[in-house]
Amino acid sequence: MRHFFSFGTLESRIYTIFTVMIFGAIFIMQLVAFRYTEKTVKSTAIESNRVILHQLVSQIDSYIQGMEQISDALTGSREVLDWLAFRGGISGDMPPGGIQERLRHYIQAREDISEILLVRTDRQILTSDPEARINPWTALQDKPWFSRAAEAGGRTTVSSSYVQNLLWGRYSWVVSLSRGILDASGRLLGVLLVDLKFNRISSLCQSLIIGKRGYNFILDSKGNYVFHPTQQLVYSNIRTEPLEEVLGMASGTGESLYYLDGRYYMTEHSPLTGWYVVSVLYESDIITEWKSIQLIYTLIALVLFLVVGLVTHKVSSGITKPVRRLQEIMGRVETGDFPLVGELEGTDEIRDLARDYDIMVGRIRELMAANVKEQEQKRKSDLKALQAQINPHFLYNTLDSIIWMGEMGQCKEVVQMTSALSKLFRISISKGRELIPIRSELEHVRSYLIIQEMRYKDKFRYEMDVDPRILDLYTLKITLQPLVENAIYHGIKEAEHPCCLGISGWLEEDVVHLEVKDDGVGMDEKALSVIRERLKEGGGRPGRGGHGVGIHNVHERIRLYFGKDYGLSCHSSLSRGTVMLVRFPLLDMGDAS
Amino acid sequence: MKRGFFLILSLFAAFFLFMVLSFMYDTASGEEGRSRGTAIEVVLKSALGEDMDFWTVVDQGLHDAAREFDVAIHVTGPPHEKDIDRQIEILDEIIEEDPSLIILAATDYVRLAASVEKAQDRGIPVITVDSGVKSKLPLCFVATDNLEAGEKAGEYMKSLLTGLPGKKAAIVSHIRETATAIERERGVRKALGDLALEETWFCDTNVEKAYRISRELLKNPEIGGIVALNEGSSLGVARAVAEAGNAGDVMVVAFDNAVQEMIYLEEGVIQATVVQRPYNMGYLSVKAAAEVLENRKVEAVVDTGSVLITKDNMFERGYQELLFPFSGKF
Repeated sequence: MRHFFSFGTLESRIYTIFTVMIFGAIFIMQLVAFRYTEKTVKSTAIESNRVILHQLVSQIDSYIQGMEQISDALTGSREVLDWLAFRGGISGDMPPGGIQERLRHYIQAREDISEILLVRTDRQILTSDPEARINPWTALQDKPWFSRAAEAGGRTTVSSSYVQNLLWGRYSWVVSLSRGILDASGRLLGVLLVDLKFNRISSLCQSLIIGKRGYNFILDSKGNYVFHPTQQLVYSNIRTEPLEEVLGMASGTGESLYYLDGRYYMTEHSPLTGWYVVSVLYESDIITEWKSIQLIYTLIALVLFLVVGLVTHKVSSGITKPVRRLQEIMGRVETGDFPLVGELEGTDEIRDLARDYDIMVGRIRELMAANVKEQEQKRKSDLKALQAQINPHFLYNTLDSIIWMGEMGQCKEVVQMTSALSKLFRISISKGRELIPIRSELEHVRSYLIIQEMRYKDKFRYEMDVDPRILDLYTLKITLQPLVENAIYHGIKEAEHPCCLGISGWLEEDVVHLEVKDDGVGMDEKALSVIRERLKEGGGRPGRGGHGVGIHNVHERIRLYFGKDYGLSCHSSLSRGTVMLVRFPLLDMGDAS
Repeated sequence: MKRGFFLILSLFAAFFLFMVLSFMYDTASGEEGRSRGTAIEVVLKSALGEDMDFWTVVDQGLHDAAREFDVAIHVTGPPHEKDIDRQIEILDEIIEEDPSLIILAATDYVRLAASVEKAQDRGIPVITVDSGVKSKLPLCFVATDNLEAGEKAGEYMKSLLTGLPGKKAAIVSHIRETATAIERERGVRKALGDLALEETWFCDTNVEKAYRISRELLKNPEIGGIVALNEGSSLGVARAVAEAGNAGDVMVVAFDNAVQEMIYLEEGVIQATVVQRPYNMGYLSVKAAAEVLENRKVEAVVDTGSVLITKDNMFERGYQELLFPFSGKF
């Protein structure tokens, strides 16, 4: 499990790098998208607010225009002109019922008209309601609608909103349309006043709004409030609106949008009324609008991130799984094993890598096998060389003995020894073959013993007791001679008494046993254990010279040829003699050739 | 194990992404996520009847502010201003409903205090509007400075009386032991000094009673002026003066802005009237409530101010809406 959590592994690296990169990418994308959407949503909201503002202005305008038609109809009326010009039957003192009837008719038809009345130059006022009393405490000349209409010639003027108190006991919020009525020569005959109920305009302003908190307000041409939804706050200075900036905007110079304290102001001027209609849009309303968009964006990012995360995981593990498998298999090399990877799921690169590795492992295996073989060959040839090396002392001593016997005229002995020596060499060469019949091996050791017996006269005698059934079995050549040599030089030669050397051979469960036994000085425990230790070591090169070089070589050769289960074993006790036993398998005759 | 680990890592990162992004835009959007939907209960002095212009305008201010500050409000009240028991009952019922805040216009300075304490015990903050209670618990008191308003009325009466040497002014008040009545009277007396008669007459907001009181008062030759301390008493006093035909002989300084008062003002029966700002009262009390709910500090007393209106300034643009509120009536 360890490597999943460490940054060192390929998988976690790929995963982490991808995750970080994708995280960053999504994050940046979201930031950009957010900013962009915020902008778009904002400008859309502002645009639609502007459209609504325009609609509001045109509605107010068309409303006022509609009212103007009424005033047109009235000012063009013969009856009205007559009354204003003091013409007609009734000297003008009595209000003509016909005009009043018409005025009343208009008011009844249009419930948004609060009052229509005519003012004559003698300050006589003609209202729609004959019952109505003119407020005695009001002065016409103080009324802006009156003075402005008088000055404006025949044009209609629109007042700001105010409380009309012209009729006694009646107070109403109105916007007044007033218009001077002129005669043909342009002389002012009177003024027509149409009072519009202000709540019509205020409800228009309050209905056409955007957002939860947005509102509209209206300023007249002088910058006074015609309408404000929280007028009282404005007049008591609890709320202030940036009037200068708003009016500046309407004049066409500078920005068309003004921002203050989280509110957007936009203005439209109505040329008909001379008013400035201002629409206020709260930024927080816009934000709530795109808050949901933001939520969706974030959700998308989340889902995207999860999906990409899973895919990344899939991809990274797809890449790294075969690599890890490869790694596991290759890791076994440490233990000295060279397993093949075989068929592997993964990308082409990984498969190539696996195949190349397999080829490499194959080569390594071949090379290792070749190496082992070579080593074996080398050791065999080493040993061959060793075994070919007849102790020069032995040859020299033998030849010395022959010379000496010749001088002594012992012709028979010379012949005997020389022929034994000849046989010894012939068998030890045996045409370069490694394996020879046990019979030849026994012949070889006998020749050797003949020579040694002649040299060490009366020192020892030998016996051979070999199962005749094994005589034709094969053995490694020069197996017994080193053992016999060892027995003579280290066992018998040192002994005080004439000794006996026995060579025996038998077959036991397909294993050939050859034994060389002497009753010489034997070995103490220490020497025996040294020899046994050497035999056990195996493989290693025996020390040159000294005790048991020959024995060791025999042991090594048997093990090289027949395996580690076979070889030499040694038993000995001080002054009782030594037994050397050689064990090797029953050889198939086919093998021998 | 491994799969789980990466999944958790992904989830964690995604969650982190989500948090960072939404936090960024939460802070950018400022006041978002405020106490929307939490109801503020408003208990006024009287339910909104046709004649009670004052409370209609307060209500308008309440609702306009509720829209602007994005809070939900619910307005109730007893049928009549004198129905103190009913108001206590209503308030107690509302406390049971555990609203987030209560705005109260107390009908009685003393008797409502117990209910306010009960609300406080339940952790419901209380703001008083127009008329307070005898308790230090309300976080905020949004009202006309009635002492100052009374002083304005008194000062004007004093200036009127300079033209009538030897004459004194009588005070016709509305309900005994009402905070507004007490404060206004104190203001008037402070300004008039010994020009005011020592006795105070109470009409219990009843026009008829004020009228009868005034008829009696007009028989007293010493009286050169009457200060009426609320709408009902003003109407009664003005009617008596008008009927007696001595408009302009006996000075009247009134309170509030009933339509009839406006007519009397134009006629010259009433020389001046002190007008409160009920719209601002409603608006500012909800504003204070919104601030309380946002755990912001609020002023203990918010003075909504008063204006002395005479015939000369009654049609000034700034005062028109004060005197003739937009409520469909004008």
